[in-house]
Amino acid sequence: MSNENTQTPFYLPSGNEIKLFEHAYRHQLPVLIKGPTGCGKTRFVSYMAASLGRPLYTVACHDDLTAADLVGRHLIGSGATYWQDGPLTRAVREGAICYLDEVVEARKDTTVVLHPLTDDRRILPIERTGEKLEAPPEFMLVVSYNPGYQHAFKGMKPSTRQRFVAMRFQYPNSKLEQEVIIGETGISNEQAERLVNLANALRALKGYDLEEAASTRLLVYAATLIHSGLSMVDACRAALVEPLSDDDETIHALMEVVNATFGV
Amino acid sequence: MEEQVGQIWHRFITRLARTEYPEAVVHLDEVRRTVGILFRALGGDGGLRVEAATATHYQTRRNWLQRIAGAAQQVELAWRSTETLCLPAQLALFPETILNRELYLWLAALAAFHPDTVTQQFNWFLANQVATRDILARFPGLRSRYQRLMEATLTLRPDPAHLPPDESVRETAIQAALRDPGSINHYPIAQRQPMAVWLWLHPEPPLLTGKSQPRKDNANVDSGDSDGQSQAAREQRKKKGERTEPPDGKSGLLAFRFESLFTRAEYAKVDRTEDEEEDLAKAQDALEDMDHITVTQAEKKAAVSLRFDLDLPAQEQDDYILEGDILLPEWDWKRGELRNNYCCLQTMITKNAPAVELPQHLRRSARKLRHQFQAVAPLRSWHRHQNEGSDIDLDAWLSHTTDILCGHAQVESGLYRDFRGGNRDLACLLLADLSLSTDAWINNSARVIDIIRDSLFLFSEALHNTDDRFALYGFSSRRRDHIRFHHLKTFKQNYNAATRGRIQAIKPGYYTRMGAAIRHATNLLIKESNSQRLLLLLTDGKPNDLDHYEGRYGVEDTRHAVLQARKKGLQVFCVTIDERAEDYLPHLFGAQHYVLIRKAEDLPKTLPLLYMRLTQT
Repeated sequence: MSNENTQTPFYLPSGNEIKLFEHAYRHQLPVLIKGPTGCGKTRFVSYMAASLGRPLYTVACHDDLTAADLVGRHLIGSGATYWQDGPLTRAVREGAICYLDEVVEARKDTTVVLHPLTDDRRILPIERTGEKLEAPPEFMLVVSYNPGYQHAFKGMKPSTRQRFVAMRFQYPNSKLEQEVIIGETGISNEQAERLVNLANALRALKGYDLEEAASTRLLVYAATLIHSGLSMVDACRAALVEPLSDDDETIHALMEVVNATFGV
Repeated sequence: MEEQVGQIWHRFITRLARTEYPEAVVHLDEVRRTVGILFRALGGDGGLRVEAATATHYQTRRNWLQRIAGAAQQVELAWRSTETLCLPAQLALFPETILNRELYLWLAALAAFHPDTVTQQFNWFLANQVATRDILARFPGLRSRYQRLMEATLTLRPDPAHLPPDESVRETAIQAALRDPGSINHYPIAQRQPMAVWLWLHPEPPLLTGKSQPRKDNANVDSGDSDGQSQAAREQRKKKGERTEPPDGKSGLLAFRFESLFTRAEYAKVDRTEDEEEDLAKAQDALEDMDHITVTQAEKKAAVSLRFDLDLPAQEQDDYILEGDILLPEWDWKRGELRNNYCCLQTMITKNAPAVELPQHLRRSARKLRHQFQAVAPLRSWHRHQNEGSDIDLDAWLSHTTDILCGHAQVESGLYRDFRGGNRDLACLLLADLSLSTDAWINNSARVIDIIRDSLFLFSEALHNTDDRFALYGFSSRRRDHIRFHHLKTFKQNYNAATRGRIQAIKPGYYTRMGAAIRHATNLLIKESNSQRLLLLLTDGKPNDLDHYEGRYGVEDTRHAVLQARKKGLQVFCVTIDERAEDYLPHLFGAQHYVLIRKAEDLPKTLPLLYMRLTQT
């Protein structure tokens, strides 16, 4: 959970997502972002929060995250109890943007607090204190999840899903991805082109040999290592190949792909 | 004596004539996975299997030693078909192991870039150059590798100066094309075939040639290759195949050509419709000796295959049909479309299966498993004395406050309570393959079907004592109109002696139309309201059926069914005992979603534990 409010982060749009988000914000519609891991969902939200001038509360959801973690709980002080707001409550009070990352991971009881916030009532009832917060027009709820995760056993309930304006993110196209890498790390045009070429080769393996495709985030990591002086092959092994698989043979084969791209 | 001398001479002369380097040999099996991944990463089709290529006849200039030895008449070159990526079974072309290995990788890369249809020689010449050029442009890391391979290859090629004029011109062109791919557009014609170009794909890949006739789906036509009967060729080399028209059976032909001897490799359209090799071992040997196989579609069934159809039980002895004619779609990958209402499935239940107790030999394991499962059964309850929690633990707080008021200094700890656990809400459907291949013996005492039966028993025993809901089904098929889906236990039924009776009564039969069975199981499972739904598939081999449902068709249909099931929010996982599963299961289920049990005897005990691991979050 964090409250980020610094200068606008680097973000390159790949479609109309900025406009869409702004419209949703203006009309107080909650937004659902779908997309594979490391394609820029979180970055996009922090970019939007900064450009709209709202504070951002990010909650990384996990399978033990309960409604109490979002809304708040009583804490014990000396001889008394104090109520402490959770990130969602705080965001509602301040009129901030609340971003629930990987929302499907959270426990089911969280939907109880999300539902009244995401329809036209826009209220947050806090059962334990008897409070009923009305969300100001600046408050916005953004949730994201990765539809590709099959091992999670989980999907989003249709009744929850239908309360959001949804947008789908993909890895950016080759040209844009090159610009992103260059913008993030400052490596040369030619190196960026080769990295993206390699990423596309690795992405072709998704579903056959690899569980997950190489993400833009990993590419940025690799580019960062390359920019700071590591050789391309070493950087790719550390930032692209090893994170994608644990299987020796697969790693070996992926290194062949890396060698094919960068040479030995 | 003569034979022995002959053998020694043969060994001597072939060794002398051999141009390869056996000490630097690299086998396909060593690099199969690497090659496959490289091929796919560079843009090759993910559905292709990597297989050993057959040696093909190659008419080229040989030196006198090779001619004496009768060697070098055949070469193993790489090619790609719609189902397979064929690479030489072994490479020992270069004196260094590393170069032979690199040649494998190069061929895989080239195959990924090579255009689909190359028919004429000229196109072959051009297509390989273009593919080489494209590859080096897109993957510059391969340049140094290509350079090394190219130089090594050029040293093996004949000197154009020592060739007849026409071959000399062509050899010069080939060598120039190797040096600078894409530079030579004209392919000079010469009498013989040029020496095999190892860096390129096969000029005339031995794909099925000749007329291919439309299969008659419901006519009495039996496929020659079926899992139940035919044994996989000992070495998994592909045979050069050709389809031809079958003789009509009326006009016999007597052919005499005194100057040449008929060999098994030639197909003469002589009417021998009824003649069939009865000795399977002999037929197997013949199959391995031949390098060119002509297949035809006979209207009459072969005796061996006929056995299956005699197997079909009479209506009154067959299992009781619960629900007939459930129509299901099938995915045709060649057309790229879903054919609706293409398969017809019957759900059936064993008639008169007597209720039984758990077999004696499983009781010990069952008891152990039950304890293990109870130990991990999650309960939903308030956890008290927690350092963090959604509520205050009033008791803890009271005693804490009392302690402080009494003057005992206490560190604040465990003052909260939390409601945890018990959020497991799971339904599992186990689908077992009951095709005829499960009739095979895996050791002296058990057949595959026995293993599957024991697995079903132990699985049920283990799950019976948990809150997880489960159902058991079995399936087999005979063409698309007769898919048998056996009810062993539905979600609503309790696990009891009658269920055990039905499990006891499972028997092998027919084929494996996996896609349709998965689709039906999916339909059953999505009706369950549990939040986690697991479809567990237990099998011993590839999808296959009597009709066109084999090879890539079956695999692609099954893959489609699996993907659809996942899209509907099911978790699909496959447990197999097929040793060759690594070839196709990653494509079907994804690398993380299947497990291969190498020791089939272990399956009954492993399966429940595997389930436990799978479902633990």
